[in-house]
Amino acid sequence: MDSVLSFCCALLIAPLFPAVIQKVKAWFGGKQGPPLLINYYTLLKLLQKGSVYSTSTSFVFRLGPIISAATGLMLLLFFPFAGATPLFSFHGDVIILFYLMGLGRFFTILAALDTASPFEGMGAAREAFFSSLAEPTVFTILFLFFKISGSLSFAGFFSSPTPVALTGGYGAAVLLAAAALYIVMLTENSRVPVDDPATHLELTMIHEVMILDHSGPDLALIETGAWCKLLFYTSFLASIIWFPRFDSCLVNAVLFYGVVALIAVSIGVVESITARYKMNLVPKFIMNAFALVFFVIILTMEFAQ
Amino acid sequence: MDTIFVSIFIILAGGTAALFLSRRFILMQRVVIGTTALGCAAGLCYALTRLFGNTAVATATWAWLHIFELSFTVDSVSLFFLIPVFLIPPLVLVYSLDYLTEGKKNLRIAINYFLTTLLVVSMVMVVTAANMITFALAWEIMSIASFFLVIFDYQDKEKRKAGYLYLIFVQGGAMFLFAAFAIIYQHTGSFDFAAVSTMPDNQKLLVFILALIAFGSKAGLFPLHIWMSGSYSSAPGHLPALMSGVMSKMGIYGILRIYLLLDQPSPIFANIVLICGILTGLTGVVYALVRQNIKKLLAYSSMENIGIILIGLGIGMLGAGENNQAMAFFGFAGALLHVFNHSVFKSLLFMGAAAVEQQTGTNSIENLGGLLKKMPITGKTFLVGSTAISGLPPFAGFVSEFLIYYGAFQGVDTHRLSFILAIFAIISLALIGGLAAAVFTKVAGLAFLGAARTDKVEQAQEVGFSMKLVMILLAGACLFIGLVPAPFIRTAFAGIRDITFIAGYDSQAFLATATQLSQTTLLFVCIVLLVALLRQFLYLNKRIRQAGTWGCGFTKPTVRIQYTGASYADEMVGFFSWLTPVTRLYSGITRIFPRRATWHMQSEDVALMNYERVLVRPLYNLVYKLRWIQHGNIQLYIAYIIAAMIVLLVFVL
Repeated sequence: MDSVLSFCCALLIAPLFPAVIQKVKAWFGGKQGPPLLINYYTLLKLLQKGSVYSTSTSFVFRLGPIISAATGLMLLLFFPFAGATPLFSFHGDVIILFYLMGLGRFFTILAALDTASPFEGMGAAREAFFSSLAEPTVFTILFLFFKISGSLSFAGFFSSPTPVALTGGYGAAVLLAAAALYIVMLTENSRVPVDDPATHLELTMIHEVMILDHSGPDLALIETGAWCKLLFYTSFLASIIWFPRFDSCLVNAVLFYGVVALIAVSIGVVESITARYKMNLVPKFIMNAFALVFFVIILTMEFAQ
Repeated sequence: MDTIFVSIFIILAGGTAALFLSRRFILMQRVVIGTTALGCAAGLCYALTRLFGNTAVATATWAWLHIFELSFTVDSVSLFFLIPVFLIPPLVLVYSLDYLTEGKKNLRIAINYFLTTLLVVSMVMVVTAANMITFALAWEIMSIASFFLVIFDYQDKEKRKAGYLYLIFVQGGAMFLFAAFAIIYQHTGSFDFAAVSTMPDNQKLLVFILALIAFGSKAGLFPLHIWMSGSYSSAPGHLPALMSGVMSKMGIYGILRIYLLLDQPSPIFANIVLICGILTGLTGVVYALVRQNIKKLLAYSSMENIGIILIGLGIGMLGAGENNQAMAFFGFAGALLHVFNHSVFKSLLFMGAAAVEQQTGTNSIENLGGLLKKMPITGKTFLVGSTAISGLPPFAGFVSEFLIYYGAFQGVDTHRLSFILAIFAIISLALIGGLAAAVFTKVAGLAFLGAARTDKVEQAQEVGFSMKLVMILLAGACLFIGLVPAPFIRTAFAGIRDITFIAGYDSQAFLATATQLSQTTLLFVCIVLLVALLRQFLYLNKRIRQAGTWGCGFTKPTVRIQYTGASYADEMVGFFSWLTPVTRLYSGITRIFPRRATWHMQSEDVALMNYERVLVRPLYNLVYKLRWIQHGNIQLYIAYIIAAMIVLLVFVL
């Protein structure tokens, strides 16, 4: 029961956090910003609309949004939000979930290429490149977490006798890994300084340009997938940073989503005080994350023996 | 064992019959396909029943030329390799039914069929050989048969050249193989494989390295891969499916076999194999990224997959060396399963590429586009193959990569070098996976999606029935293996049960994980279907319109403004420029009203460049200096012969 509630709660609350980021950015700019519920309104608006399809597209263009949304939902099904047992979990689920995210990306790219638009091809190429650079970082982080917790599932990372936590025995190592994960989060969720979701020029976009031709409910599905993904990454970080251990689920959940909101605020701050990098600097930025976590791996080589 | 010989006989009989039936084309095709299918079905049944039977081992021996013994044996590993050897050829031949059509080249096609059956038979013999004589004989037949298959269009100079390059590499490889066998024979005094393990430990490393070079040149190990792209794109379209899907796995079989025969789980073997695997995988995927010819791209992607398989084998050997049974078990099992999976989806992709070439006359991504609408079955199956080969769930490639990851993650308890290598294996698997996704979004997205770039492509039609049928079957297999992996994982587990290092490992716990893996993929498919239903519901009574793609307000777009393969890969190529130097030639714009401008971009293969510099040039110079030996004077030639005989006599006496 808890698991179902936790899943529904996560699904309902997911659209809130991108709005938090937007709000923080607006404050930094001295503006009032959109209401916190903006994404719910957007969702409702999109669901009421029809769609325009490009004449060059095929069924792949319509499949892309479906797969994006489905992978987003899969993430929520497997992640232990606020320490609640997730609906599904098994030893090795981290591998399949990151690969499912890869599948979502694969079809988003294909859908973008299906439009025959040079802009979308450009975005697709960048997405393929940057995410393939982020992949090794992710798997090195997973290896580290496996070494710490002895488990290969999200639930296991945080519920094992030696959980992955900043406050645990491996605090210093986890801190660096968390920093790397933060960079991966910025990359995978198309945030500044890798990608600017608020930019207005197609040539400089990555994710936004890939979905230029999607409209109506299709766009709503893509957005849902993106919100789920952001929630997943922020929750992953939140679980590492601070792990609530109260008896009451409600208190846990409130505190947990509080931390998630703080991370969203921090993304907003990062977006406000940095400009996006030039495209040729982005790979270096992503490789920094890899360098960090690889350094940790070297450090932990002789640990726990 | 007899079943194997019967199936060999049936397959060869069909191939020989083809030579005599070349005038009656349709009959010939049916005879070859019928006999091959029959023989392969018999062999497949035998392999599977034995694999799951009580004991896998069986032997048979024949005398040959009174001195030599041709002896054969099977164990679980060779039985597993027999599965793709027996499974893919009938499919390839059925595909050829509509691909090779009656015309001027009937006799040549008949010879082609004969050589194909010979290739299949030789692969069966390679896998079942029990001594060096048999192995070398089978290996040579395989190499020669495949060489003649490559030069099918021998009038074409480029294709002939590709064939020669291939011949140099296989025969050069065979030379190393003979060297390895000679060393073994020197120490054991026996041709029998069973005696190999008795040779002194200090010589084993040398033998292994020689064998690795020999088998690596067949499998396409970096830097022995340069023949691949040429010969796969030169052979008639259906054959690369066989050569890349099955024949290159003989190299993998050789590496695994020699490792098992040497029977020494020293980590040094594992380190070599793992490093080779990582190098091969990475260079393969980067080179695949920069190719614009689909067949060449697929050839390099084969190299990438050989890298993944070697990483799996390396993990297995590392586990054996470190006494970490779980690691060894999953490493070997993942490698074997990837051998099978790769034979399925790589065959599918090569067939798709051949279908595209048949219909459009080109294989260059830069000239294709929008084929999914013209060739729906080819397009959809190619899409399935692309997703599968990128290792993405819910398709086949993911299952074997999952096993290899699982094995590599078991390396968490190892120390120093093994630990570093295990983590490198994981990192490179992840990087290769990400880049493979880029490669296959490029080929599927730019060739099959978007808009057609030329008129010829605009008029492309769907291919014939037999080709469609085979592609559908293979695509279905990709999906089935992904959704219901348990039986295939079990088969891979059965395939490795005769490996002594992992004897007694209890895999039951993992089978539970495999079930959960399958449930997760099924869950995902259900969610996709649910979301699709939801989408249908959301679009009820909505206004749906068709219009042009958003072109930033540009009113006169052409199909040529689409992103090309070169531009898609450009940023990535820049990042990997140390691996693939790029030359760009740009005419530039000099006038106010520019005329014709040209842009040429070429990415090099570092291996090819350095062969030229390190090997070919010095060799050529040396040989040039020795030209005086060959002067055309026949008396002196006879004098050479006599001199040589005298020198030999001195040795004998």
